[in-house]
Amino acid sequence: MAIGDLAFLIPLLPALAFVLTFFLGKKLPNGGAIIPIAAITISFVISLLITMNLLQNPEEVINQSYSWFAILNIGVLVDPLAAVMLTMVSLVSLLIHIYSVGYMSHDRSQSRYFAETALFTASMLGLALSDNILQLFICWELVGVCSYLLIGFWYEKPSASSAAKKAFLTTRVGDVMFLAGIVILFSDLFRIFNGTIPDGVYILRFDEIFTHIPEIAAMNANILGMEVSHITIITLLFFGGAIGKSGQFPLHVWLPDAMEGPTTVSALIHAATMVTAGVYLVARTFPMFMAAPSSLLVVAYLGAFTAIFAATMGIVMNDLKRVLAYSTISQLGYMMLGLGVGAAIGAEAVGISIFHLINHAFFKALLFLCAGSVIHAVGTHDMRQLGGVAKVMPITAVTMIIAAFSLAGFGIPDTIFGFSGFFSKDPIIESAYLFGSSSGMWIPYLLSITAALLTSLYIFRLVFMTFFGKPRTDYGGHESPASMTVPLSILALLALVAGALTRTTFYEFVSETFVNDFVQMDIPALADIGGYHLASHAGHEPMLILWMPLIVAVAGLLVSYLIYGLKVVNMDSLVSRNNPVYKLLYNRYYQNAIYTDFLSVKVIYEGFAFAGHAIDRGFDWTVNWISDLMIESGEALRQFQTGVIQTYATAVIAGVGLLIVLIKVVMEVI
Amino acid sequence: MIPVELYIGLAAIIFSIGLYGFMTQRSGIRMLMCVELMLNSANLNLVAFSSYNADLTGQVFALYSIALAACEAAIGFAILMAIFRMKDTINLDTFNVLRW
Amino acid sequence: MLPILSLIVLIPLLFAALTLFTKTKEQARVMALVATVAVLVLTLYMYINFDSTIADNQFEEIYQWVPSLGINYHLGVDGIGMPLILLNAIVLPFLILFTWNDDRKAPNRFYALILATEGAVIGVFAALDFFLFYIFWELTLIPLFFMVSIWGGPGKHHAAIKFFIYTHIASLVMLLGIFGLYFSAWEMTGTPSLDIPALLSQFQFIGSGVMKDLIFLALLFGFIVKIPVFPFHSWQPDAYTEAPTAGSVLFVMLKIGGYGIFKVILPLLPFTASPNLMITIMAALGAVSIIYGAFLALAQSDLKRMVAYSSVSHMGYVLLGAAGLVSLSVSGAMFQQFSHGLIMSIMFMACGVINTTAGTRIINDLGGLAQKMPKLAVIMVLTFMASLGLPGLSGFIAEVSVLAGSFVNLPSYVIIALLAIVITAAYHIWALQRAMFGVFNEKLGTIVDINGYQTLSMGIIAILIVYFGWNPSPVLDMMLTNSEQIISLMAVMGV
Repeated sequence: MAIGDLAFLIPLLPALAFVLTFFLGKKLPNGGAIIPIAAITISFVISLLITMNLLQNPEEVINQSYSWFAILNIGVLVDPLAAVMLTMVSLVSLLIHIYSVGYMSHDRSQSRYFAETALFTASMLGLALSDNILQLFICWELVGVCSYLLIGFWYEKPSASSAAKKAFLTTRVGDVMFLAGIVILFSDLFRIFNGTIPDGVYILRFDEIFTHIPEIAAMNANILGMEVSHITIITLLFFGGAIGKSGQFPLHVWLPDAMEGPTTVSALIHAATMVTAGVYLVARTFPMFMAAPSSLLVVAYLGAFTAIFAATMGIVMNDLKRVLAYSTISQLGYMMLGLGVGAAIGAEAVGISIFHLINHAFFKALLFLCAGSVIHAVGTHDMRQLGGVAKVMPITAVTMIIAAFSLAGFGIPDTIFGFSGFFSKDPIIESAYLFGSSSGMWIPYLLSITAALLTSLYIFRLVFMTFFGKPRTDYGGHESPASMTVPLSILALLALVAGALTRTTFYEFVSETFVNDFVQMDIPALADIGGYHLASHAGHEPMLILWMPLIVAVAGLLVSYLIYGLKVVNMDSLVSRNNPVYKLLYNRYYQNAIYTDFLSVKVIYEGFAFAGHAIDRGFDWTVNWISDLMIESGEALRQFQTGVIQTYATAVIAGVGLLIVLIKVVMEVI
Repeated sequence: MIPVELYIGLAAIIFSIGLYGFMTQRSGIRMLMCVELMLNSANLNLVAFSSYNADLTGQVFALYSIALAACEAAIGFAILMAIFRMKDTINLDTFNVLRW
Repeated sequence: MLPILSLIVLIPLLFAALTLFTKTKEQARVMALVATVAVLVLTLYMYINFDSTIADNQFEEIYQWVPSLGINYHLGVDGIGMPLILLNAIVLPFLILFTWNDDRKAPNRFYALILATEGAVIGVFAALDFFLFYIFWELTLIPLFFMVSIWGGPGKHHAAIKFFIYTHIASLVMLLGIFGLYFSAWEMTGTPSLDIPALLSQFQFIGSGVMKDLIFLALLFGFIVKIPVFPFHSWQPDAYTEAPTAGSVLFVMLKIGGYGIFKVILPLLPFTASPNLMITIMAALGAVSIIYGAFLALAQSDLKRMVAYSSVSHMGYVLLGAAGLVSLSVSGAMFQQFSHGLIMSIMFMACGVINTTAGTRIINDLGGLAQKMPKLAVIMVLTFMASLGLPGLSGFIAEVSVLAGSFVNLPSYVIIALLAIVITAAYHIWALQRAMFGVFNEKLGTIVDINGYQTLSMGIIAILIVYFGWNPSPVLDMMLTNSEQIISLMAVMGV
């Protein structure tokens, strides 16, 4: 039996673990944590074996499809893209589950926690190995609801339940766009097949979609007087979904608030796995983007903008987890940029972007888990109250610093020396340069290199404020138990060496996603449809460009050392309510006022909903008015019933008289 | 033989008296008497036409109608007595509970 | 061969009469349970023997009744009616269990009315003769009227009368439509017949186009008021809200309006004089209902009223999907009826529990109930998610089928419906946050979680929601068969 036949077990085992933990968890020690851990371990082993197998035999792409209902199917697709994603998700999830045993040990709802994280893992793995866009959407929504449940894990806290609501609704906006994209795609394919779909053809399966890209691209819709290709509409709607899930501007607002959940949840869902689903979606449907005029440009610009936009806010946050949250948004922006520059480098973009996704998952999960370790020990999120934590928590401090170097992207170009983040972030920035030089659009490159400076600045600010200097308050604290430090060390190892060891293999491996026996995509041909000019990517960049990311990273480290380590600059004048820039950043560009207070409350709720309510009163009033009219006319008519016999007699006589006259007239006429 | 027009004329006069009484009086007994007058005028017509046409059907109908009138009077008076016991008056203007 | 449909219709009606003569709550509820379980068993037997690959009427029973007027006692069930009978048969025993420990006045009459409603509603789904159809159709009104006006909330009289008169007027308009069809066909063929399949097939031969449109519109009006959709929904929030919990659930089971759309309206549609206009009317009403109901639900402060308006929104999908005229969208609309019945019945049960234990349904006065009612919280979160169309739960299958299918022919209406999805999510999630999560509102006093019977009945329906969310085929297959047959009729329109 080939290992590929077990692929369906990868999401199924955690799903089973969810059911078991949900019903039996309370009766077991540690909230039944052993069930999901065991299940995810098996999932990880299977994923790893499949990936190994796929590396050696690239043609053994696994695809099993089963009819679900009507013309839709459920299936398993493990190609290189899915394989690396599965391995990463199951590994990170496994480590975080182990870590959670210690972290959640004092919580009375442990079993609910483990049940929900198991369900999340199942959905995320299901998302990664979907072979059709609808199944991907289903898992996409399920990870969303798990995120909702886990952000609101401490639901008795109003801020947590409010953050959960915000996360769900904001991502829902993106999800609706994604769904709209699927709906349009479905109807286009339905038309292409002319309404009669042959047996065994599942029209939303990726191979079917990709095969028909040229026909979809040929369809045009007229939107506000502009002829837009259907493929552009569909891909932009998909990207809309990705914006919501991956916290890209302007739908990023939920991600910082999502830190209300347990830190492990932030690490698992809001840093390493779920938020990368948007990137995964764009990567998965990359051939469609390739064929869609201007879609990739939108991806590139928005990604680069988000990278710098979030980094600016990351600099001023005082909450340990919020800094990391903005960092996540910023890094996701890089991944999007990495995909967007596919406009210049073709399918390789998927390789570099997913490489950053994987590395980011390791070092960002590590950052969050370290932060969690600190929070667990000292009981506060506020960096202003910390300082000098490195003395009481050495392991945590070392691992955190490794992660910070990885995030900031330290490494020496053209050698194998460097942290993981360096090997994945650098190619993105370099590709952005290549994109700039081939298309003349330099903005993405400039934004991304500036964001790299800011990245280094905010992460070392965090490191210096938290781990060095003198304690600013009396917080006590101790090193965390082994169940927490062991996962930290494993992740630190990955953040340290994973990038260096795998980089070339990885690019080649993942770039093969669209050329195998499941799909055979001719990316340059698709680029012609989309009107992109592919440049050859062979390190023609000037030396300065290669070293630039390292230079800005070191600059950021130095600046933050000067400010927060040596305190040579007094920040009090800058950090004040009177500084308009600081105020703008600290208030996060007033997005809460705009989104929540204005758009949601004023426009949607008080505007539309209340207006609707008034209209509905109108309908109700009309119905009641008709019945009142009936009653009133009855009231009026009953006045004739005077109760005086003579009145009735008069009426009888008048009636008889009238009858006589009428008969007379009728007789005359006849 | 008395011409039939005279009977009809007499009946019309009696009917009008009865109608006038029915419309103007408020006492239940008087109104009932007026109704009787109108009935009798109709009976008169029936008998008159019967003899005019030499057809006994009219006579039979008159008898029938008289019997009905008797029943009606009996019931009517019974009701009026009940009203009188209840309200101490037979002025029907005061008796309008079935009004709107 | 057992006259199984007659039994399924008559057992509840018979037991309704018997239950009236019981003296105590204990006797009444046992009677009701026995009758509903008997119906469930018979229905399951029928379901197992049902052939979902053919679109014809099955389990037919036909006896002459009034030959001179063409009236027959004709029962039969196809892929449109079967799932709805199944829905009623499944939910009703659990509804009885749900009310098992409640104390209320006149329990014998209460349970009798529940059974009478069940019999009448199933009768509508089984009738294949317009005479019988109309009798059952009107029969559903009476028990529900009494249900609301005897055991309802503070505004029960107003709500009951509004419901009765409003829907009754619609039924009369529908009756006019039936008469129009009946007499036109009589004139044409020379023999009177009220047989539904016969009349539906004769409709296309009626001479006058105006007559066809009038008949169609009259029938359509009768059905959409019952569904109900915008702008004829105003009886529904009142009736749903004021009804006792069991009454609200029965209202939800009353899927006869949508049934009429699929059974009667769609087969007639291609033969009307102006089918495109009719499709536009249906699609527009459906799409507007979806978004209008969603905004209205967002504006409500009463939890049960919110659920009632959400029902308007969900029923919009039925009409939109029907107007979509693609087999996926039509079957999705049929599935929406089935799924909505399951979901809403738990929603109303939850509202009822909250009202009983907390003494209020005003969302802002609740708060933190999840801490005191963990079991209810789990079921409610699941149901709310199902109601907002979360994948993996039955509501999603219906929504995605309707949206994807309808987009082929009606793109602009589907876009309107898509806009409503965010609003739908918003009111569900917001209500959950205010009612169930956050700090517990101490003013609510002692709160007890749902009892064993309630957990059992809500839990099993919730499990069914999950089951049909992953495996819709047991009911969707027969719906697909029938919708394909309906779509094949549309060939004359050139779609």
